[in-house]
Amino acid sequence: MKNPARKNVVPQVLIQTLKTHPVILALIGFVVLFSALYPERFLTPLNFSTILKQFVTLTLFALGPSIVVVTGSLDLSYVGIWMLGGILVWLLMPITGMFSILVIPLLGLVTGFLIGVIQVKAKIPSFILTLSLLVTYWGITATLSGGYPRSVREYAFITASLIPHLPTAFLWSIPIILAAIFVMKRTRIGTYIYAIGSNEEGAQLAGINVDKHKILAFTLSGLFTGVGAVILFPHLGGAAPVELNLNNVVGPLVAIVLGGTPLVGGSGGPQRTILGALTYAVVYRGLLLSLLHPEAVQLLVGLLLIVSIVVGSRGLKGVTIT
Amino acid sequence: MSMATPAEAPLLEVRGVSKTFDGVVRALDEVTITVHQNEIVGVVGENGAGKSTLMKILVGVYAPDKGELYYRGRRVPFPRDPKEAAGRGISIVYQEKGVIPHLQVYQFLLLGHEDKYVKFSSLQIDTMKRVAGEILEELRVDCDIESFMYELPLSTQKMVEIAKAILSIRLEREDTDTTPIIILDEPTAPLAIEERQGLFNDILAMKRNSSFIFVSHIIPEVREFADRVYVLRDGKQVAYHDLTREKVTEEDLFRAIVGRGSSEYLYKPGLEKAVGEEIALTASNLTKNSYYYDISFHLHRGECIGLFGPAGSGKSEIIRTIAGLVGFDKGSLTVKGQTVKADELPHLRLERGIGYFSGETGKELFLNWPIAKNISIVNIGRILLTGRVPVISFSAERKMAERIVKKLRIAAPSVNTDCTSLSGGSKQKVSVGKWLERSPDILLLEDPTIGIDVGAREDIYEVLLEMKKSGASMILVSDDPKEYSILCDTIIFIKGGRMQRVLSPAEFREVTAA
Amino acid sequence: MARPLFSQGWLRRNMTTVGPIVAAIAIIVGFQAVNPFFLSHDGMITLVYAMSYFLIAACGLTFVVMMGSFDFSVVSLLKLAALLCVLYMDKLGFLVIPLALIISTGLGFINGLFVARFNVPSFMATLGVSVVVEGAALYLSKGFLHIIYNETFRSLATTFIAGLPSIFYWAIGIWLISTFIAIYTPFGRRTYAVGGNLIGAGLSGINVERHRIYVFMLSGFLAGLAGVLYMAQLGGGSMLIGADMPIPLFASVVAGGTALTGGVGGPHRTLLGVIIITWIQAGMLMLAIGRDTQMIVFGLIALGMSVATIDRKRIKIIK
Repeated sequence: MKNPARKNVVPQVLIQTLKTHPVILALIGFVVLFSALYPERFLTPLNFSTILKQFVTLTLFALGPSIVVVTGSLDLSYVGIWMLGGILVWLLMPITGMFSILVIPLLGLVTGFLIGVIQVKAKIPSFILTLSLLVTYWGITATLSGGYPRSVREYAFITASLIPHLPTAFLWSIPIILAAIFVMKRTRIGTYIYAIGSNEEGAQLAGINVDKHKILAFTLSGLFTGVGAVILFPHLGGAAPVELNLNNVVGPLVAIVLGGTPLVGGSGGPQRTILGALTYAVVYRGLLLSLLHPEAVQLLVGLLLIVSIVVGSRGLKGVTIT
Repeated sequence: MSMATPAEAPLLEVRGVSKTFDGVVRALDEVTITVHQNEIVGVVGENGAGKSTLMKILVGVYAPDKGELYYRGRRVPFPRDPKEAAGRGISIVYQEKGVIPHLQVYQFLLLGHEDKYVKFSSLQIDTMKRVAGEILEELRVDCDIESFMYELPLSTQKMVEIAKAILSIRLEREDTDTTPIIILDEPTAPLAIEERQGLFNDILAMKRNSSFIFVSHIIPEVREFADRVYVLRDGKQVAYHDLTREKVTEEDLFRAIVGRGSSEYLYKPGLEKAVGEEIALTASNLTKNSYYYDISFHLHRGECIGLFGPAGSGKSEIIRTIAGLVGFDKGSLTVKGQTVKADELPHLRLERGIGYFSGETGKELFLNWPIAKNISIVNIGRILLTGRVPVISFSAERKMAERIVKKLRIAAPSVNTDCTSLSGGSKQKVSVGKWLERSPDILLLEDPTIGIDVGAREDIYEVLLEMKKSGASMILVSDDPKEYSILCDTIIFIKGGRMQRVLSPAEFREVTAA
Repeated sequence: MARPLFSQGWLRRNMTTVGPIVAAIAIIVGFQAVNPFFLSHDGMITLVYAMSYFLIAACGLTFVVMMGSFDFSVVSLLKLAALLCVLYMDKLGFLVIPLALIISTGLGFINGLFVARFNVPSFMATLGVSVVVEGAALYLSKGFLHIIYNETFRSLATTFIAGLPSIFYWAIGIWLISTFIAIYTPFGRRTYAVGGNLIGAGLSGINVERHRIYVFMLSGFLAGLAGVLYMAQLGGGSMLIGADMPIPLFASVVAGGTALTGGVGGPHRTLLGVIIITWIQAGMLMLAIGRDTQMIVFGLIALGMSVATIDRKRIKIIK
């Protein structure tokens, strides 16, 4: 079908994009709002670099799980991979030297594969499965570390500043983001993951090996989290904590849902998640800069999560744990 | 079974196919069908007659126990998976679950065949779009290849599915002059009534270069569009008609499908007298767009109204609307003088005195509960220790259940037996038993005796007639005319979602016997 | 001919009942063998303290799981109720107890509203509510440790009757009432019905929407009650109250035999689960196994028991 009004194409595309990505409007709205409220604090290079730093944290955590959310499942193991990976690096450092960092992607890969296999074979709801695994990893982390955060300084060079006001971690995250988008949008695996999320039975009937691709989705999620954690490890101070912080778990979840990947699956994905992460980072920073009590900020973030969840749950059917 | 052999060898012939599940259930028994170039072959039968099993064997989902497959007169092995079947030129369009709503049209068309469009592990999106556009243009399917499947109307979705089936045959075929054979499994089931004719016109247009196997239990459609029709019953081929040469009525087909002639219809005179003057329920101009239109009737106390019509006529949606499972768009529904809101939840219907009894296993039954609990769930008020304190008396519950079990002759070791372990007939009896105990003012019956043996049927009819005698009104929807003859005082004939005629039992008997 | 006491078929059918009992006995005997202090009077009191508040909260969660849903916010509500007591006891006196209970029940209502009215999956809805509640708790407590000096309040949980602290009797009382509700009342029957067959429940005249809200309110109420009594037992606390609780709590419900798919199990079974979990916890403490390793153990128990109890026949597609 040819479009009769050719010159209207650009505004039409724009309207279409805004329709499918309403979060862009919210993002612009928040930036304008905060800039108007306190320009001297919000519109500073330092502030933008802080926002970008948080954007990187959120994105690298949320990128992998957003692939799993497309299938309609959930993966909460990301913080666990980062924590346990950090401690394994510290343990391996004296033995394997600078190669130790590679243990994190490996851990991510194995974890993701394991979750996928258990979920598909034992049929446990992924929410419970990955939550239990997260706690287990936390326990292992704390046990291995002896209860103290262990820092490894050798990898600080990864995030050493190159361009003023532009976090190097942000530069690193670009290829990872592009890779995730490529996998989901331009490969067979990505298409199959969307198909499974949209209609699992139909995908099966179309001859797709559903179990295999569900396992693949979890494996990809673990791998992206693992690769991301290589950047996050120095980015977040070169030491993994031994205490589980609920906010670390919730933040990326908000980014995914806020970006517009519905929990029911079938649409959305990494390209939406980065939008959600950016919006979340802007809102969080804007609230912190406000004169609100810092503790009140967490309250508002919780409300944001609830709102995005309610919106993200539209049309959700057939979840076994209702 | 012999038939006139056409001059040329048939395009496809399945000869003497048998299939047994778990070594006991005989799903198919020596079935033979042929498909010729450029024709539509109907395969009809009740649920469980073996239609789906046969089709799944043709596309390689199941392997047959016995039988032979011939392609243009040459014997070939049965396909082992859908891809291999496509290589032989056979592909299937599933009833409902086939569409992937969140894929774009071109992605959906090539789903499962992406390996042909990968370069440097990246999908060649432009090539995919071109291929998809070409097939849609060729088949004159009017839609944008970049829209998402869920954005298309259901009939267009069906056409895209057919295009996908043809495309997959083209992509996988072994020799280039393969004529595609497309199996359509109940293609009109998800469609609105208005969309069905359009779909058939498109299919007829495609007959020029394809053949179709049309699986259905909607008799009028098969009679209108198929060239030849095979009737399956209990896994056996029981009838064959060449519709291009013979004059076959809907009644002929019906008789073959259910295995009973109209002369066997029971009719117990004198039932009409039980009907009272008091109006229990009124539907006026009840409409749910795409499903049924302007349905109006009065249901009197002690009356049973049957909504009779072919599958897909909208009768099931009407009864589900009255049960509160689906809403309605226009008109009004009045129960005992009170107007019912369109989006009212099912539990409020019970408060109004409407019970719903479906033969579909597990729909209203709690399968992992014992019989006693299943009977008491709608009668909780009667098994409380005292009227005031909401505490259940287990002995009262047991006594109630034992009474029902005895009355309905339910075969079970005790009332504490889980319903999962009961036979189909006994499960149905438990369902009807709880309503007997509750005795609602209005009981809705949807396929009340589907899939159960004769003895259990008679028992259930007996209970229903007894309830009717004591003043319960009923609405019946079923595929079995015999049931209407036994239970109903008034029969409303529905076709295409609209009321056609209102018949008395005597008239109904004449019509169905003609 | 002598027949075996229990046939194999009987064992298989009743595995979900026999399993937890055998496990509980094995755990008690095992830890007693390693450390004779385990079953001494002092050891028992430690155990009773560890078990009681836990049992109250677990009863509430059991109702939710029985209904086929999940309540992530139990621990947060417990924490908030406990902190409300310690923070406002001086200002409000004993009025703070009904206040804490009303607030936690109200938050349970909000959980139910999201799940029943807006069709949000329960784990996500309750996770969201629990983040907000954690925020509120942090806001109120400012992250400090607060001590309660009101001895009357503390005696709610710490009065010794027949050698055991009063919180034990509270817990057993709540457990008995919960069990009674689940088995002997229409409310309990409806909860099983909603968990067993959602559509069937509606067709059987159950107001599914309202019932789900009620059950979440019950869970919130019991979480609040557990929080109040726990604060009376502890005599003070900070944001760290219940920090290690979520996974053991969940594990104790499934370990008792209440499957995540809903419709089976019940509070009567949760008692066994709580015994198993808290006694493992106590036993490990006695063996000087840190809470870190405990987390590993409980994470794995939660997983294993979910796998063992879930009804795979009922779910075609798992997400």
